[in-house]
Amino acid sequence: MTAEGFEKARAEVGVIDTMIGFPAPREEQAKQYDFIRKQTHDADSQEWEFPAQYMFKGVPHYEQVDHPVEMLLAKMDEHGIRKAITGLPTQGDNPKRALELYPDRFFACAPVDPNAGMDSVRALDEAVRVHGAKAAHCWGTGLIPQVPVNDKKMYPLYAKCVELDIPIFVYAGVPGPRIQFAPQDVALLDEVCWFFPELKIITRHGAEPWTELMVKLLLKWPNLYYSTSAFAPKHYNERIIEFANTRGAEKVIYAGYYPMGLDIDRIFAELPDVPFRDHVWPKFLYENAARVLKLS
Amino acid sequence: MPDAPWPSDLGVIDLMIAPPFRDARRTYTFLRQNLRDRESLEEFEFPAQYMFKEVPHPVPGDDPVRFLLEQMDRFGIEKGMLGISTRDDGESDSRRALREHPDRFFGSIDVDPNRGMDMVRDLQRAVEVDGVKAATAFPAGLHPQVPINDAKFYPIYAKCIELDIPICVCAGVPGPRVPFAPQYVGLIDEVCWYFPELKFVTRHGCEPWADLAAKLLLKWPNLYYSTSAFAPRYYPKAIVEYANTRGADKVLYAGYYPMGLSLDRIFKELPDVPFRDHVWPKFLRENAERVFKLS
Repeated sequence: MTAEGFEKARAEVGVIDTMIGFPAPREEQAKQYDFIRKQTHDADSQEWEFPAQYMFKGVPHYEQVDHPVEMLLAKMDEHGIRKAITGLPTQGDNPKRALELYPDRFFACAPVDPNAGMDSVRALDEAVRVHGAKAAHCWGTGLIPQVPVNDKKMYPLYAKCVELDIPIFVYAGVPGPRIQFAPQDVALLDEVCWFFPELKIITRHGAEPWTELMVKLLLKWPNLYYSTSAFAPKHYNERIIEFANTRGAEKVIYAGYYPMGLDIDRIFAELPDVPFRDHVWPKFLYENAARVLKLS
Repeated sequence: MPDAPWPSDLGVIDLMIAPPFRDARRTYTFLRQNLRDRESLEEFEFPAQYMFKEVPHPVPGDDPVRFLLEQMDRFGIEKGMLGISTRDDGESDSRRALREHPDRFFGSIDVDPNRGMDMVRDLQRAVEVDGVKAATAFPAGLHPQVPINDAKFYPIYAKCIELDIPICVCAGVPGPRVPFAPQYVGLIDEVCWYFPELKFVTRHGCEPWADLAAKLLLKWPNLYYSTSAFAPRYYPKAIVEYANTRGADKVLYAGYYPMGLSLDRIFKELPDVPFRDHVWPKFLRENAERVFKLS
């Protein structure tokens, strides 16, 4: 019984959420996407509060948020999320407060900008050494100019991740916002995994519609991982679920998408119905992330 | 060098020199995988020998390092850069020379970006443990070839910046009969743009794109040119002119002994290069001292 498997795993090991953010008033939230609007050409994207909103039902909206860190913590407690990813303390008051006051509940992830060259390599080094960041993060498709997953500009950053022994989150599959998908074509991962066999890569945002290829690559490359960010559990891809249930129990990692596009209540209402086998649940919800991100 | 247009006590620094080879053919076996023509594969001892008159065949006796030092003394060469490679299995004459005569030699490590992170680590170790002063690369001689602006080079370039060492890279049509595309001089532009801090020193002439090389040398403050593998009478005009005008700090002497040129020939021809007076000490010594951090 899958719902029981989920409940047991959540109760016994808990959940690590590898994609979650602090709730913000809707105007502020909408402004966070200005960088995406900059490279869209269609009229809708200029008007929408959230550039991928045509894909999501029930995007969370708040008129006012008084204590975003504590509000998120309360939601994490409600759903059994023991640890959550956040930014660097230098990125804003929220991650700073979260990491300082609740170090056992939050871990830092360092954004990298391949368009910034060696400055970004040095910043990543500092983020890990000074701020204890557990991972790097790059959404190359959202950058101006866009930077494909296998672009040479990524290579010094990948090399630095290997040296620092941290994973990097990258994006795979057609992105929701109306910008070009080419920089995150799943096939690009093959070259990177080949050249950097030690590099731990965690994909975000579904890898659709190339999930068949994604599964092939997950099987082929030992250090390639998949996370479920931006997908409501009822839409988790069948091939990914099947892979997790067969060869890939160690390779699929839970990630939500609150508050960007999914309400956390919805995620946790749908999760128990995902047909993972019992032994997959604790790995999916917690253990794989804890191991790959070296959280203990 | 009594009649030379540079001070006799200058102390020349040679950025490409080596102890005489014990077995020349073996020295170039790495290149065979990229060669296709019969002459290169079956007849040539040195894959670029059709380009050079009188390739030296020194008879060094049983101590090539001692022999090289005597040659250097004859021509006022105070220091020479010797290449070591991860292809060396352990000891080599160059490694011994570096160890026994640190006042006369400094090392460079040849990189093969095809080796990925292992090469990055070996490079770091060569600098931190063996004290080498530079990286070197021969893009057209690698197997497979790796273009100067290829992604595989990027972690190497980043590491050179972190270690604050220059990288010397062959640019221009290579002598050996392998495709030149990986060494097209135009590729350097992208690398200098993305890595403005990288000290990039070209080797082997940049021909026939010396005009483009001069443009790039002016454009990119950390791009340098070294004269390896060119007899002084063939130094490209565009480069000599650049050194005499804006580029006195950007052109560095490198020989090619014993690979293709004798020191006798190099130093016989050198005084006739029409460098202006102020260029000579920079060209023969001071630029190398600064870029390779030798003092």
